[in-house]
Amino acid sequence: MGSFLNKTMVFILTSMLLLACIILIPDFLVKKFSKFNIDKGYKIVLFGHSHSECAFNDSLISGFKNLSHSAEPYFYTYQKVKKVISQNNQVETILIEFSNNQIDEKMDEWTWGYKYMSNMFPQYASFMDAADLELLFNKNPKDFINCVSILARQNIFRVVTLNYSFSGSIGGYLKVNNPKPLELNNKGLPIVRDTASGRTVLSITNLNYLRKIVDYCRQKNKKVFLVRSPQHIGYEYMKNEKVFMAIKKTYFQDVDFLDFNNFPLKDDEFADLGHLNFKGASKFSDYVNRMISSGILEPGKKQVLINTTLPKKMYFKPVVNNSN
Amino acid sequence: MLFNSVSFAIFLPVVFILYWLIFNRNLQLQNFLLLCASYFFYACWDWRFLFLLVFSTLLDYFTGLKMTESENQKSRSFWLWLSILINLGFLGVFKYYNFFAGSFTQMFSNFGLNVNPWTLKVILPVGISFYTFHGLSYVIDIYKRRIKAERNFIDYSLFVSFFPLLVAGPIERATHLLPQIKKVRVFNYHNAANGLRQILWGLFKKIVIADQCAEFANTIFANSASYSGSTLVLGAIFFTFQIYCDFSGYSDIALGVARLFGIELLRNFAFPYFSRDVAEFWRRWHISLSTWFRDYLYVPLGGSKGGTWLKVRNTFIIFLVSGFWHGANWTFIIWGFLNALFIMPSIIFKTNRNNLEIVAKGKSLPTLSEFLHILLTFCMVVFAWIFFRANNVTHAFNYLGRIFSRSLFSIPSFDVNRPQLLETIALIVFFIVIEWNGRENQYAIETLTKLKSRNYRLAFYYALVLIAFLFAGKEQQFIYFQF
Repeated sequence: MGSFLNKTMVFILTSMLLLACIILIPDFLVKKFSKFNIDKGYKIVLFGHSHSECAFNDSLISGFKNLSHSAEPYFYTYQKVKKVISQNNQVETILIEFSNNQIDEKMDEWTWGYKYMSNMFPQYASFMDAADLELLFNKNPKDFINCVSILARQNIFRVVTLNYSFSGSIGGYLKVNNPKPLELNNKGLPIVRDTASGRTVLSITNLNYLRKIVDYCRQKNKKVFLVRSPQHIGYEYMKNEKVFMAIKKTYFQDVDFLDFNNFPLKDDEFADLGHLNFKGASKFSDYVNRMISSGILEPGKKQVLINTTLPKKMYFKPVVNNSN
Repeated sequence: MLFNSVSFAIFLPVVFILYWLIFNRNLQLQNFLLLCASYFFYACWDWRFLFLLVFSTLLDYFTGLKMTESENQKSRSFWLWLSILINLGFLGVFKYYNFFAGSFTQMFSNFGLNVNPWTLKVILPVGISFYTFHGLSYVIDIYKRRIKAERNFIDYSLFVSFFPLLVAGPIERATHLLPQIKKVRVFNYHNAANGLRQILWGLFKKIVIADQCAEFANTIFANSASYSGSTLVLGAIFFTFQIYCDFSGYSDIALGVARLFGIELLRNFAFPYFSRDVAEFWRRWHISLSTWFRDYLYVPLGGSKGGTWLKVRNTFIIFLVSGFWHGANWTFIIWGFLNALFIMPSIIFKTNRNNLEIVAKGKSLPTLSEFLHILLTFCMVVFAWIFFRANNVTHAFNYLGRIFSRSLFSIPSFDVNRPQLLETIALIVFFIVIEWNGRENQYAIETLTKLKSRNYRLAFYYALVLIAFLFAGKEQQFIYFQF
């Protein structure tokens, strides 16, 4: 019995040691050699989730790179921002998508729910600090351990194939051709699926990490803007608009907010209530390109632009909270 | 509590240590500990169904005692049928009631009659099909005077509820397990090490092969209407490996865990995909269920003693019942029927006992003829699994319809992570090689005869641990838990 227990313990300990090696060695190599380089011509970089991923066609906006990624909460964006900024000195301006669903508690599920974590964690875990790892472990220890195995597998694959470049997998413009028309009810109104009581429960973690992103960018002397992509008037999360604006005002008063929520788009320019299709994205991106060329991102010029360069008949007005 | 969960990884060593180090001086205490552990294990799913398990145990315990005490044949028959009816009644209510209600509603609606029978909103108690069959075999064996009723309630309860086999078998027999429960068990190093090895292999099969294949099989079966015939064939093959590695992986873990406590359970799988005909396949697949049906249904029906046509009738009956045992869905019944059809030629031409030994025994490779027979049997098995996996009969026929179309000859393609697909295929090939090399053992890695040095064998075990860790995703439930 003693011999059995001893040998079993030795086997288990050796296995754990080997597991530690296959986790930590590739992790170290990925941390050291990872590449997040983007073309030197890109001075403006956008981060966010699927709203901005579908809205900003960066091939139509000069000097602009869209690094948004579907279902990406700020927790993972923060890791990405750190790497992109540290490896791309040419970047001067950081835009961060800030829209209604990003304050919702659903973002917690996006951060540590298995479905989302198993997708995002292996990509960015090597760049997380101890506090970030601890947060995920505390929130969902069981799935965290499972995700570590996926991380190890992906890192080993990177090391074996000597592929340390993350550039192809950290986001980009997503073209949506809109295979079906926007769902409308018989009165021509959008079908809103949300039947919740209207109570808004916040994702404190997501908001904390947005703050961390802003602070990190400031620390690195980058200009930071929060951006809201166009959303359909019937978008379910518009219900939390008051809370959303209150949060913006209370916690992000110091950050410029480019609000394109009401940008005029027709129903056939939406892929769904929260996302633009290719047609909508083209129209919107073309507008953004003109705005940037006109200097909307330059301090002091924003209000002048709104007053003078926008067509008078245009009912959309980008809301700019100038804190400078 | 799943075998492939962190909680089980804590539960097992705790019970093991208590069993061998604290309770080792007294057999009754050891059995009591195992019984408590088994009830705890079961209660982790849903403690409310523990009452059903205890009731079923009490029922068979008392009817068994009554049968033994009674000399009157009529009275013995009464107690036997009471037990059978109540046991099957529970099974019928929990597992089949909604199926029958739905089928009758459908049938009446075909004649233009609208009936709305009650449907039950209850979940299926985990393992009910398994422990019901444990109990039934016990009372039938007493009735047939093969065994005497067990008077020690703890020992009997442990026979029904022993945690490794409680939720998905193997379906044990009182003649095999009860004597082991009543015998003093002495720790045996080699048995325990063998148990750990079998657990490792079971985990590898479940985590690495079954769960990886499940991802592809689920994707393809869920979107079968949009895939080519060749892709659907690939989906069926993935499911074929998934179900084997899932269920035999579970059985390996169950057998290995039982070995750690000094108990030998019935073997459930014997490399079925290396079978040369369907009759051999059924001697190697879910052996404890096949032999249960043979002993308690096929033989009482007359077995193979009454000529070919009686044999044919009985074979159809046991395969249809076996299909129905798996679940309340017509797909399982058709799956059973197909297997009966496939086995028919060998029954009619009396070739069903041609291949009793494992293929190519003592050789490295099979002959061409053996290989072609294995391939043909495998194709038939894959065909039948489509019905087993499909959501309903229409889905199965649509799936088959798309397979037998021109697109069968196109290159398989589906939305998938390509490196992951290649990894999975490589792992399946690795798995087949290991299974082939170990096919003369009880399980593939029981003796690694090709690896002479102890260090190589250790390296192999470490490699299995590492691979299992790397492929561990979210804990997936075992398929047979639903039965």
